[in-house]
Amino acid sequence: MKTVALAGSPGRGKKFIAYIKRYWTLYLLLLLPLTYFIIFKYIPMQYIQIAFKKYSIVKSVWEMPWAANNGLEYFIKAFSNKDFINALRNTIMLNFLDLIFGFPAPIILALLLNELPFPRYKRVTQTVAYMPHFLSWVIIAGLARQLFAPTSGLVNNFLTKIGLDTIPFLNEPKWWVVTYVFLGIWQSVGWNTIIYLAAITAINPELYEAAEMDGAGRFRKMWHITLPGIRTTIVTLLILSLGRILGSEFDRPFALMNHMVNDVANVISIFVYKYGIQALQFSLATAVGLFQSVVCVIFLFMANALAKRFGERGVW
Amino acid sequence: MKRTISILLVCFMMVALLAGCGSEPASTTPTPAQQTSPSSGSNEPSAPTPEPEIVDRKFTKTRSITVEIYDRNNDGGSPPEDNFFTNFIKEGVLRDHNVEVTYIPVGRWTEVEEINNLLAAGDAPDVCVTYSYPTIQTYANMGGVLDMAPYLEEYKDLLPNLYGLLGERNLFWNKDPQTGTVWAIEALLFNQARINTFVREDWLNKLNLKEPTNLQEFESMLYAFKNNAQVLLGSEANQMIPFSISFDVGWRADHLLAAFVPNDMTDKEGYIRGFDDRHILYPGIKEGVRVLNKWYNEGLIWKDFNLYGSGDSTEDNLMKAGYVGSFIHNWDYPYRNGDEGIHANLQRLVGPEAGFIAVAAFENDAGVYRKFLSNPIDRKVFFPSTNDEPLASLLYLDWISNLENRKFLQIGEEGVNHEITADGAVKMLSATGDKIMNSPSNIDYTITINGLDLGDPTLTAKSLSLNYPGVDPRYIEKAWPLSTKDGRIIPQFNVGEIKAEEGMGPALSQKRDTFLVQAVSCPPDQFDAVFDAGMQDYLNSGGQAIIDERTEKYAQFYE
Repeated sequence: MKTVALAGSPGRGKKFIAYIKRYWTLYLLLLLPLTYFIIFKYIPMQYIQIAFKKYSIVKSVWEMPWAANNGLEYFIKAFSNKDFINALRNTIMLNFLDLIFGFPAPIILALLLNELPFPRYKRVTQTVAYMPHFLSWVIIAGLARQLFAPTSGLVNNFLTKIGLDTIPFLNEPKWWVVTYVFLGIWQSVGWNTIIYLAAITAINPELYEAAEMDGAGRFRKMWHITLPGIRTTIVTLLILSLGRILGSEFDRPFALMNHMVNDVANVISIFVYKYGIQALQFSLATAVGLFQSVVCVIFLFMANALAKRFGERGVW
Repeated sequence: MKRTISILLVCFMMVALLAGCGSEPASTTPTPAQQTSPSSGSNEPSAPTPEPEIVDRKFTKTRSITVEIYDRNNDGGSPPEDNFFTNFIKEGVLRDHNVEVTYIPVGRWTEVEEINNLLAAGDAPDVCVTYSYPTIQTYANMGGVLDMAPYLEEYKDLLPNLYGLLGERNLFWNKDPQTGTVWAIEALLFNQARINTFVREDWLNKLNLKEPTNLQEFESMLYAFKNNAQVLLGSEANQMIPFSISFDVGWRADHLLAAFVPNDMTDKEGYIRGFDDRHILYPGIKEGVRVLNKWYNEGLIWKDFNLYGSGDSTEDNLMKAGYVGSFIHNWDYPYRNGDEGIHANLQRLVGPEAGFIAVAAFENDAGVYRKFLSNPIDRKVFFPSTNDEPLASLLYLDWISNLENRKFLQIGEEGVNHEITADGAVKMLSATGDKIMNSPSNIDYTITINGLDLGDPTLTAKSLSLNYPGVDPRYIEKAWPLSTKDGRIIPQFNVGEIKAEEGMGPALSQKRDTFLVQAVSCPPDQFDAVFDAGMQDYLNSGGQAIIDERTEKYAQFYE
């Protein structure tokens, strides 16, 4: 904790020099990623100013004039735009549903996989389950249309064949949300499972042996050993996903949406694309992006503080 | 094993972290210079100084300019910036005007983004071209565009071909009535044909039906298709689509909707409510959409139309497979793309008698087949403020506007790109290798004109119908005049910039598509509610502000 060298303590200074002499190569190695972050992450941050300025394509960002209303013109513009409020609501709703249904899914799958007795079968299942992660959303959306379209989709054709009504999976807002969340889980569950499986392998096998001696069944072992064993991982990932509650993917809703479900599928990233990139309103787009990032950071801090209060380690 | 997993875990965390940090908009980061030319680098627009160094429209000292060229990345195409046709232009412009031309390729489908980057980096080509005037207006408001008006006036005598082709009308089309600025000149839209209504000719013959000539006949034809699906499609009867449409209802029902607009709508109203190029604000449109709603609920329209976005080929494939009975689309849509096109596929899959034919089926209240055509403007050519060779750039435009030069660019070399038929018409051939045309009629090089022009209207029309390999010319000969039959052009009212329109285009177009799609596919008893709510949302989100400002500006300049 106390690493600050006081000016009047020569002993510490000498220690510091010795430390540097010994480990300078490691710091040299660190320089490369640091440069990367400075050049590609911190220097571009000066362009955050665009959110408060009247954007001009021919002027440097420092020369652009300030926007009206003390530079808050574009924030006011965004919040008085009905589409933005709608996008904000949809972003939170879809991310929240993703969190509720999508977050526990890989934990459950990891627990199930862990119980499988045949290693080869387990490995194959795991591989098959994480394959969809590598598919682009454009492809998944194409598959979804083939499967779920009301008249030509495979699923609906099957439903009609067995005498049921077709289900508007993609063209009715409520059903679309269900499809959206379901496809999200399908795509990411296997991939996220890898982390939990890795955490599970780190649990001391003696705990299981001891539990068996005491007569614990599978379910008891899962509940009292496996789950507590991966609790730190769960909390870390939960904090990270809470930090993304207002973040929004672009390709997933954009590829899956259609005009029938605009009211629930329009999320912040699509708003930014439509008003900012397509209509060249860069200041508005940057203002919205900045708002999004700030809220995400606040959520991240809150989740971390909460985790610490409940005795977990947090992410930092 | 454990170690591998922990390494994997670390990698994953790094990726997740980077992805989380990567949400900053990157569009403002300047790209490195792609091309160095003498004209780039300076941010000051040069003053219109008299050029004593020009003799007989030829510079005494060689000048250099850069020109934007669309890169369509076609299969088997040639590099757009260096091929047979660019050499033809480069040599000609150097010979006639002593101007050296360098082409800067810009992706056709990402042009706005790429030009953004080039402008921001001060490396934009001296001659830029785009389809979107609002984009140029936005650049101009940021100080990124050169005012062409003084140059066009000063050098008028040096630009006979440019003035000859575009005339004062297209050159000063965008002249601001108050400040007199011209941010961009308008290329000439030579071919006015826009949209057509198509029906399956062989189905009409099979069912002994005549070509529909009004809405009632068209509707009974759709019912006939539906009720005779067994006859027309046999075992695939359940695939029957009497009328097909896409999410872009305004475009894909254009002729039908235009017929519901009162014939006596004034030009003033046409202008004030004409912001949207699908004419959705015109009076009467709602009743047209109601017809579509009825058709949809009666099973006459493709049920899944609302699921597919722009560029999706599902609907085309249904047409190619022969399931679609009728549709409204671009005037030559089924005949395009030669061997890959709808017509060729129908001939292969269904038989030599199969084909779509254009019909005139929708009369308005005055009994004419009204359709709204575009003004004769096309792409917009502008000079960024970094252009310090405005005269050389204008001479370049003049050179490609010369009839002989643009004719060669449009039809290419005889025996390679085209052949002359017995009656003198030009028949296009598909060339390969260096002389391949990367765009139809080399439209990307002839940026001042869109549409085949051989200098003689009858010859042009005759040649046009030979322009579709594998398609019987009679189809084109019928489609071409029908597309403009009883067409109406709302004249231009030049009132300068409408502030309310800035940045609204994409958002309003999407709202329009959304509420039209929802209005077509809702139950009939909800139609009024859905349509009215959608229209209200459209107006509240900026539509009304545009109408108001247009009304005000119209009164200011024309009343």
